[in-house]
Amino acid sequence: MQDYREFLDEILFMPEVIARRVAELGAQISADFQGEELLVVCLLKGALTFTANLTPHITVPQTLDCMSLSSYGIGHYASSGNVRVNLDLQTNIEGRNVLLVEDIVDSGRTLDHVLRMLRTREPKSLKVCVLLDKKERREVAVEVDYLGFEIPDKYVFGYGIDIDEHYRHLPFIATADLRRYRRPT
Amino acid sequence: MQPYTAILSEILIDASTLQKRVAELGAQISQDYAGLDLLLLCILRGGVVFLVDLMRHITVPHAVDFMAISSYGVGARASSGSVRLILDLQTDIQDRHVLLVEDIVDSGNTLAYVLELLRTRNPATLKVCALLDKKARRQVNVPIDYCGFVIPDKFVFGYGLDLDEYYRNLPFVAVVDETRYPPR
Repeated sequence: MQDYREFLDEILFMPEVIARRVAELGAQISADFQGEELLVVCLLKGALTFTANLTPHITVPQTLDCMSLSSYGIGHYASSGNVRVNLDLQTNIEGRNVLLVEDIVDSGRTLDHVLRMLRTREPKSLKVCVLLDKKERREVAVEVDYLGFEIPDKYVFGYGIDIDEHYRHLPFIATADLRRYRRPT
Repeated sequence: MQPYTAILSEILIDASTLQKRVAELGAQISQDYAGLDLLLLCILRGGVVFLVDLMRHITVPHAVDFMAISSYGVGARASSGSVRLILDLQTDIQDRHVLLVEDIVDSGNTLAYVLELLRTRNPATLKVCALLDKKARRQVNVPIDYCGFVIPDKFVFGYGLDLDEYYRNLPFVAVVDETRYPPR
């Protein structure tokens, strides 16, 4: 596996900066859901790191569930945005307060479809917490209730976000110069 | 497991009646979907036997895909119909002509929920073909565009429908003798 320093462009957020923002988000979520119970839904795999670091800062009673999704037609230029459920929730979200945790939103198509799907299950409330927002790439309007950081339209990795499944473990968020990136064999 | 003869009350729909009706449905569907790119969608596992027999009578080119669902169990309200996706479609149904092939519709709750879910994916059209309709048990209005048979509210098995996972292989639809099943 290639050393990340060979294709690292710049570090956007250092671990301490991320940790501070995550704590702020946790405090905000705790305040908003005071007196309520929460179901935290982690969207595998990219949001794992963020979710695991966020939930200790959420003080209201909560349960955790995970979903794994993929877009249909990966690689197609014009994606319908429809998402395929690879792993569905174990929990019935009817009447529940749901907080969906995502790593990154760009076009908004995937998130829009996930929200539509979850709404068919009639949760009490459905809120979205996203770590990174590539606002410039938005094609479909989606409501992000809790946002970590807005970022430019660059290829990012680290803190749960992968390049070909690797580098999720890195504690910072960085941009990659893909010209210097070699695909694993 | 006991042989089916030990737990059978009556044969509701015999094999030749079933096959004749399936052929009719297939012909009707072929006519209605002429010139269209049809996608048959079957929910595992009950509808599989019906699906395979039906497909052989559908003369227009068509594809097939499957979903597997389950109830949420504890805490789930049956009336919401909300189900957990165990296996989702491989196919993106955006702009597709989808025909959902079902074994049986009773309360309609699950079917209503599945249709609502599929509609969020923007198919061109979405219709339902059900082999058996237990109309008397309906709680929510659901469209059945192609219906095999309307049946009374009896405990049926065979032709894809199981009794504790067994007897799906029987070529007819039968009614359980509840005095002899489950066995003591």
